[in-house]
Amino acid sequence: MFMWLLTFLMVAFSHFFLLADIISTVEFNHTGELLATGDKGGRVVIFQREPESKNEPYNQGEYNVYSTFQSHEPEFDYLKSLEIEEKINKIKWLPQQNAAHSLLSTNDKTIKLWKVTERDKRPEGYNLKDEEGKLKDLSTVTSLQVPVLKPMDLMVEVTPRRIFANGHTYHVNSISVNSDCETYMSADDLRINLWHLAITDRSFNIVDIKPANMEDLTEVITASEFHPHHCNLFVYSSSKGSLRLCDMRASALCDKHSKLFEEPEDPSNRSFFSEIISSVSDVKFSHSGRYMLTRDYLTVKVWDLNMETKPIETYQVHDYLRSKLCSLYENDCIFDKFECAWNGSDSVIMTGAYNNFFRMFDRNTKRDVTLEASRESSKPRAILKPRRVCVGGKRRKDDISVDSLDFTKKILHTAWHPTENIIAIAATNNLYIFQDKVNSEMH
Amino acid sequence: MLGKGVKRPRGEMEGGETEPRDPSAAPATSLFNISMVKLHQSLRRVEPNLRHLVLVANTLRRMQEQMQREAGGPAAPDSPEAPPAGDDLLLSTMDTSISTILEDLGQVEALSPARPEEEQPLAGASGARQEPARTSAPCLGPLELLSSASYLLEDGLEDIFEDIDTSMYDCDLWSPTSLSGFKAFSGAEDSDSKALAGAEDRLDMSDLDYLMDVLVGAPPRSPAPPPPAPPPRAHLPGTRPVPPLAPSPEPSPPSRTQCPRSPL
Repeated sequence: MFMWLLTFLMVAFSHFFLLADIISTVEFNHTGELLATGDKGGRVVIFQREPESKNEPYNQGEYNVYSTFQSHEPEFDYLKSLEIEEKINKIKWLPQQNAAHSLLSTNDKTIKLWKVTERDKRPEGYNLKDEEGKLKDLSTVTSLQVPVLKPMDLMVEVTPRRIFANGHTYHVNSISVNSDCETYMSADDLRINLWHLAITDRSFNIVDIKPANMEDLTEVITASEFHPHHCNLFVYSSSKGSLRLCDMRASALCDKHSKLFEEPEDPSNRSFFSEIISSVSDVKFSHSGRYMLTRDYLTVKVWDLNMETKPIETYQVHDYLRSKLCSLYENDCIFDKFECAWNGSDSVIMTGAYNNFFRMFDRNTKRDVTLEASRESSKPRAILKPRRVCVGGKRRKDDISVDSLDFTKKILHTAWHPTENIIAIAATNNLYIFQDKVNSEMH
Repeated sequence: MLGKGVKRPRGEMEGGETEPRDPSAAPATSLFNISMVKLHQSLRRVEPNLRHLVLVANTLRRMQEQMQREAGGPAAPDSPEAPPAGDDLLLSTMDTSISTILEDLGQVEALSPARPEEEQPLAGASGARQEPARTSAPCLGPLELLSSASYLLEDGLEDIFEDIDTSMYDCDLWSPTSLSGFKAFSGAEDSDSKALAGAEDRLDMSDLDYLMDVLVGAPPRSPAPPPPAPPPRAHLPGTRPVPPLAPSPEPSPPSRTQCPRSPL
């Protein structure tokens, strides 16, 4: 069995981008050619991978800025006297159906569909207009000519095609495009809506967990996603750590789950914070559609869709924090929502942690590694050195002690290229892109 | 104008560090105190993070269960999680507080344009209400404005007008006797201004009217017998006109916690 992880560590090409604002979401498109980031200021920056060049064998397709646009602006709700943040919570790409690329971006309340088009040719030789577009004096026109398309500098245009507003009372935490490529869903704390991509004036409510009396509220929706292949299936996670798989064919309102995935609480680990740390912050289907990956505060778990009683695999992300839960509760870090990601072949999973660390777990070899995304330790073509957190006992050189961890440096958003060993890591307003140079194919 | 005074929700989604801002809170020595502070802080926000709120509330409930179990059992040694002795009243009111707070979320949520039809079931929820409009039969449109107006002006008053320097208005005009004229003119707002119990430095309803008139440059009013309906008031650009408020039959309960302005 080829241990790709070792190769990944030995040779890595990294580059980073400094963005204007704190990055709030990162997403590759379906081919991996484009990478979109959303930030706290409502901006979206799209990076494009340069085609590999034979002339520069070391340039294995770098990512460069392709387009930047303002997706959302701060809004003011006069009725409730509150400001709606422009921060982009999620971006999801639509599968490409023609020359243009489309993506959905959302803030707390409004989802927008954007179309990204390229223009690299322009018509020249009009009969009635001159070069600047001004109308010609008709008396000077003596012959008829056919305008020709001439190349021009590439221009990327991003236009808003749909605005899906007024669908949510609470904060939107997820959007997910259906495999039918016609519908998508958006989830807030208490409800999930189904939209048609072409219809903006109405949506269909498919999940509603709002209790009749708000005083009975004990659980909220934290994340949701459509199944990658079955357009009738979707999953949503809750703040109590449960996952509900729903089938839209069963009933119009999917309040009754088809499957409930829940791991019973471990009595030996029970504390006041048990519920908070079990709250699922992200859920992702595997590319195969057979498994689900969930992230809660201390672990990542792999669930088999055929087994509801417990996850098939559990990986400790930073168990050394278990004894520090009290202070993490005090400073609100315990409420941080980390995302998780699968690699293209579903053999490795990745998630972020504190101190700008991120972790990878190889499901086959059961090996794991801690890496750091920082400018100090990452230079172009540098080796990514594994890091270690020591909890007392024998301390090696370059180990970091738990008490020296910087909890303000958190990697909440990570993304993995759909087919290659390329990852995007967001650390505050730094975007790191790490590429495995030696092995760019999945194993 | 409203844009300046409105608090932006702090970046709590990303786990920003929260310092206890409430000056009246005791030093956070126990989890219980920390949790109560968090709960109140969460509700001070313009739009509370529902997940955070629910998780903190559930944690508090867990602590309550634990304490009740401990109270039932033999005398347990002081544990860091147990609240200080004498907090039994706090314990019993805690659950009520959490329930009432979450109730209010449901109430205010009815104001949202996305779900106007839910006003009906929520209007019947228990508990004393600060919004006087709730007592009348709910119907859309004017009622929404009424509720939102009263909601806006009650707890929102302090925050919205915080940064306005009202020192130039601090003169004899605001003494009770001299205000009688304004109060008489305000007419229907009187009862509502009585409902606004609180610190003396809070702007009164009629004070608010006067302030707005001055700001929009309306001609000075003279004390006159209350007209059948107050004249239309100029309103700030972007806001809806505030119709006259119905008289409030219920006084605001004094034990309510500060600013549960949970607009959901």
